[in-house]
Amino acid sequence: MSGRRAVRDGLLVGNLETGEEVALAGTGCRICGEVTLGQNRLCPNCGGEEVEPLALSAKGKVWTYTVVRYPPPGDYKGADPFRPFALGLVELPDGLRVLAPLSCAPEQVRIGMDVVFQPRVRPDGVIQFEYAPAGEEAAQ
Amino acid sequence: MTEVVIIGAGIHPFGRFDKSAEEIGSFAARAALQDAGVAWADVQASYLSRMYLPATSGARILRRLGGTDMPIVDVEAACASGGAALHQALLAIRSGECEVVMVLGAEKMPRGFMDPRMIYADWQIEMGMSLNPAYWSMRAMRHMHEFGTTELQIAKIAYKNHKNSVHNPNAMYQKAFSLEEILNSPLVCDPIRRLEICAPDDGAAAVVVASADFARRIGARKPIRIAACVHTIARYSADFRCPADSMSATAHNDGPTEVTAAKAYEKAGLGASDINCFEVQDTDAFCELEIYEELQLCPLGEGGRLIDEGVTDITGKHPVNMSGGLISKGEPVGASHLGQVVELVTQLRGEAGPRQVDGAKVGLGHVLGAGGNCAVTILQR
Repeated sequence: MSGRRAVRDGLLVGNLETGEEVALAGTGCRICGEVTLGQNRLCPNCGGEEVEPLALSAKGKVWTYTVVRYPPPGDYKGADPFRPFALGLVELPDGLRVLAPLSCAPEQVRIGMDVVFQPRVRPDGVIQFEYAPAGEEAAQ
Repeated sequence: MTEVVIIGAGIHPFGRFDKSAEEIGSFAARAALQDAGVAWADVQASYLSRMYLPATSGARILRRLGGTDMPIVDVEAACASGGAALHQALLAIRSGECEVVMVLGAEKMPRGFMDPRMIYADWQIEMGMSLNPAYWSMRAMRHMHEFGTTELQIAKIAYKNHKNSVHNPNAMYQKAFSLEEILNSPLVCDPIRRLEICAPDDGAAAVVVASADFARRIGARKPIRIAACVHTIARYSADFRCPADSMSATAHNDGPTEVTAAKAYEKAGLGASDINCFEVQDTDAFCELEIYEELQLCPLGEGGRLIDEGVTDITGKHPVNMSGGLISKGEPVGASHLGQVVELVTQLRGEAGPRQVDGAKVGLGHVLGAGGNCAVTILQR
């Protein structure tokens, strides 16, 4: 056992030990139809209890982004020494947008760019996630 | 319904001081009492707006004015704390329980980015998502993409606010910058630059609020009517702002500023075109541009045109942030809305000196921040 765990409980599905089929966890509401991030017992939109666990799509598009130019305050676990990185709000076909770091060079990021989900295992065994360019974007 | 008025206003400058919260807070509160011509013993309840100060700071600060057994309550609603506290005073007076209430905003904050543990979960901090400006910046990037808003238009807002600050002795920075200096200042989070962003700091501002009957009885000097004071939080997924980790792509709810302003306009029986001067949440320069649209000063996507046309200059049709805004004053979170209210009271009394808006009769204060907390106050002389 390597003792791998998700950066937040209920945020990832799949086999965290082997890394197989790891995806973002989502929750679908059978009442209002909203899909939300992570495993939720109640729908954050309507408060309904009739919810089902989902695995969110791996592929998405950058809806908007920024480049973080200063080290974020607090216990940041990214590159040390710090280097600027893009943070994107990625729209998934499931009907939600998810905030995450983008793994490519900040200059490469464009709104509408195709990206794909990538789990990242930290040295401390914690699995967090980011999005990487997909398809033609990745080839550039 | 009982008419509620502001009869006194006081402020301690915003900036960085080697003084305690008790010192700066009691300074502003005393100034407001003196301005109102009311004794501390006549005040029946007090509310302190604050976010970063410790428990029961209201009592700690206001006890300096003298012994009292009145209720003193700390109120917190992130950047909208001041609106939430003022709203409590309005309710206390409208209920008939009180005739005179003190509302104080005070804050002392360390330099640099705000302590993320106040707002974010550990995993968000670990993944690098704990920089507040990043959220505002992503809104700016999207706005530029959808509407063609430019970096120059965003810089023009910072230029205007810095220029206005020169006439505000209570601002932390009282310095004008050229557009070149602003556009050459370092990027913090693209496309927002160092000279386009507000910094946390220290400050305090206070108002004495009373029933109109009380104001008449004591012959209050230039009372200013509270035409509306509304605090809301963002509807489901209506606002992508810290500490959100995701948002719906299918729900289309109106944003918190739109909702709060619509409620405030309705209560006041006024529209955006009736308002002569505005103090709004310019956490960064883009934020002010977006708020033009959300307060209905212009249609969606045309905030850039408004700044280009000078509509929001101090000499324009709808001046915004005559005080220099948070970009110049800094944002002592709990004090920021009360600071806006003090500025508007000064404007509506015609006592703002070189930054006076000619003939100002109606003013609007707006704050917006974490969790989609938003407050709008409309004042009328």
